[in-house]
Amino acid sequence: MSIMSHNGGSVIAMVGKDCVAIASDLRLGNEAMGISSNFQRIFPVSDRIYLGLPGLATDVATLREKFRFRVNMYTIKEEREIKPETFAHLVSSTLYEHRFGPYFIEPVMAGISKTPTGGVKPFIAATDLIGCLNFAKDFVVAGTASDKLYGVAEGLWEPDLEPEDLFETISQTLLNAVDRDAFSGWGALVHVITKDKVITRTLKGRMD
Amino acid sequence: MDHFPSNWGRPRNDAIDQYATYPIHSRPKDSFAEGVQRTQQPIVTGTSVLAFKFKDGIMMAADTLASYGSLARFKDVQRLHAVGNHTVVGAGGDMSDFQYIQNLLEQLIVDEISAQDHHTLSPAEIHEYLSQVMYARRSKIDPLWNSLLVGGFKDGEKYQPSNPRRPLPLTVYLRFLAYVDLLGTTYSASTLATGYGAHIAQPLLRKAVESREEILTEEQALKIMEACMKVLFYRDARSLNKYQVATITKDGVKISDSKTLDTSWSFAENIRGYGAQTQ
Amino acid sequence: MPGSMVAMTQPVQQSFNPYTENGGTILAIAGSDFSVIAGDTRQSEGYSIQTRYAPKVFRLTDKAVLAVNGFAADGNMFVKKVKQRLEWYRHAHAKDMPIRAIARLIQTMLYARRFFPYYVYNILGGIEEDGTGAVYSFDPVGSYERETCRAAGAAQSLVQPFLDNQIYFKNQTPAAGTQFPQHLPLTSVLPLVIDSFTSATERHIEVGDGLEIYVVVASGSTSLQGLQNLRGVQEVTGTTDGERVFVIRRELKKD
Repeated sequence: MSIMSHNGGSVIAMVGKDCVAIASDLRLGNEAMGISSNFQRIFPVSDRIYLGLPGLATDVATLREKFRFRVNMYTIKEEREIKPETFAHLVSSTLYEHRFGPYFIEPVMAGISKTPTGGVKPFIAATDLIGCLNFAKDFVVAGTASDKLYGVAEGLWEPDLEPEDLFETISQTLLNAVDRDAFSGWGALVHVITKDKVITRTLKGRMD
Repeated sequence: MDHFPSNWGRPRNDAIDQYATYPIHSRPKDSFAEGVQRTQQPIVTGTSVLAFKFKDGIMMAADTLASYGSLARFKDVQRLHAVGNHTVVGAGGDMSDFQYIQNLLEQLIVDEISAQDHHTLSPAEIHEYLSQVMYARRSKIDPLWNSLLVGGFKDGEKYQPSNPRRPLPLTVYLRFLAYVDLLGTTYSASTLATGYGAHIAQPLLRKAVESREEILTEEQALKIMEACMKVLFYRDARSLNKYQVATITKDGVKISDSKTLDTSWSFAENIRGYGAQTQ
Repeated sequence: MPGSMVAMTQPVQQSFNPYTENGGTILAIAGSDFSVIAGDTRQSEGYSIQTRYAPKVFRLTDKAVLAVNGFAADGNMFVKKVKQRLEWYRHAHAKDMPIRAIARLIQTMLYARRFFPYYVYNILGGIEEDGTGAVYSFDPVGSYERETCRAAGAAQSLVQPFLDNQIYFKNQTPAAGTQFPQHLPLTSVLPLVIDSFTSATERHIEVGDGLEIYVVVASGSTSLQGLQNLRGVQEVTGTTDGERVFVIRRELKKD
């Protein structure tokens, strides 16, 4: 069995109108056996950036700490908050350092940045396990249910969704995709990041 | 009289195990056992076949090389075969299997003429026959190791598509072009290519032919075919600059004498490691 | 190691593989008195497109349509044999075989080849004897079940969860005092089918080129309204009374 699907789990991020959303399931497994239904794999990086780490659970813990350290060092040296775009490149180069013995994680990130004119710019990105960046305008997916997520998201997503509509779209996409994946599911967590707040909701999911 | 039943029906071999001392399931094979062998791999092979539709019919081409691995073994082999007056079959893959197929088709035509019912086989019928033969052999795990193109032009009945149960026959000339291979896979399109040609010539053919099937004249078609054969000769190491072209129109089948491609190799001088440079 | 030495020294015969995979996706949805059976028309092997038009959906009778996906040579042969059995049935019984009997026939024919299977996923759609829309789906060795909707083939994993959500209303809650419909009307089903295939085309390289949607409508159904004046619709009904069969053809992206 593949290392990428040893623990299971999936993450998706979507762009809305002046907002972004990122969501994941809550399952932790050991191959087919379920271990936990409360496994966090999305972490705040700053007030307006969230990072999802689907893949091997031990690497989730390692990378989460590694990125916390590197973002802290950036903040101290630069004396400013990291921008989502910069963070994406930090993720990419961190993973590429291990090109020939990689962490088994495919990160997904979502955030909003302020423009010089005072507006906000939504940002999402994903990379593969060696840091190849994918900046998408609509949505990014990763994890054991990625093909299902692509199918549903391609059918449900539309441009310029308001925060509440974006929440509904990303939730429905995730829930219906993970219900067809044996390695993902067991509940879900959704963050919708807007200009002035982050809405976080825990969703009930099928437990079979 | 040989008293060992396990020896019955076998060619005699006094040198090995004369008294059948081995258990039946593990007894040594006689020297003819290897003689009964299925085609597990192609031996003497032909490369690509190209074909496409044009205004007045079908054009098909194949070079005349039969390779033995990387050896250019036979340089004047015809890989285009006329079947009756309306059809051409072009073959890539194992040439001995192709010769067997040619025999099958000859027999088929003889049977059809013997019936004396003035019915001749249409290209579609020949393609159907070949598909059944190819699929039956793959199902026996004893395939005929070929990719075949079937091209033809014949008057036939066109069915009214809106009501397939009660067709209104319309007599029209029909162009036919289809593919069948060693797995029994079949398909049809206005441009077809087998083997290496499917990767190299097919994109060129699609660009040159698609949406122009009703406009292209025979001269234009010949130009396109020559350009494609030239590209294949430059890039396919198992190809030859000698090839034949078949045209199937309402006037019947016409297979050309072998033509030679005009190629230029002066550019090779400028490629490091290819030309005469010493550094 | 002695084992690996054998592999090093003796030539290994690469045995002939009688199967290949030809891509594409099929899908069927049952309504209360109609059934929709659709498939794309691309046929491929590896990264090569063999043809942009090779039908995967076939009208068997006026009340049954069969979609086949997987190994194309097996698929075509299987359809041929099913059609032959249906013709024999017509000669013996002077009527078309009912769809639930066709479903059982297909199961028997697939299982007969249990140890050298037809590498094909089948979806059978049509009208049941009681006039309801039906979809039967099969695995390559004949396990089958009647369902309301099913996707199969290369993009099954993309399409099926979308259909769960939009047809079965999975993970949705009806507004207070209301219920979700058991069956959707044809006017809702057709756009969902088209959306499913455009989505699959966008994200799967083996799906695209063309789309053929067969619609089987029970006799006296109200679903006919609007269907006949749809763009690119063509009637392929065989008889004059009873169920009617239509085909809708659409282009899909060719890249």
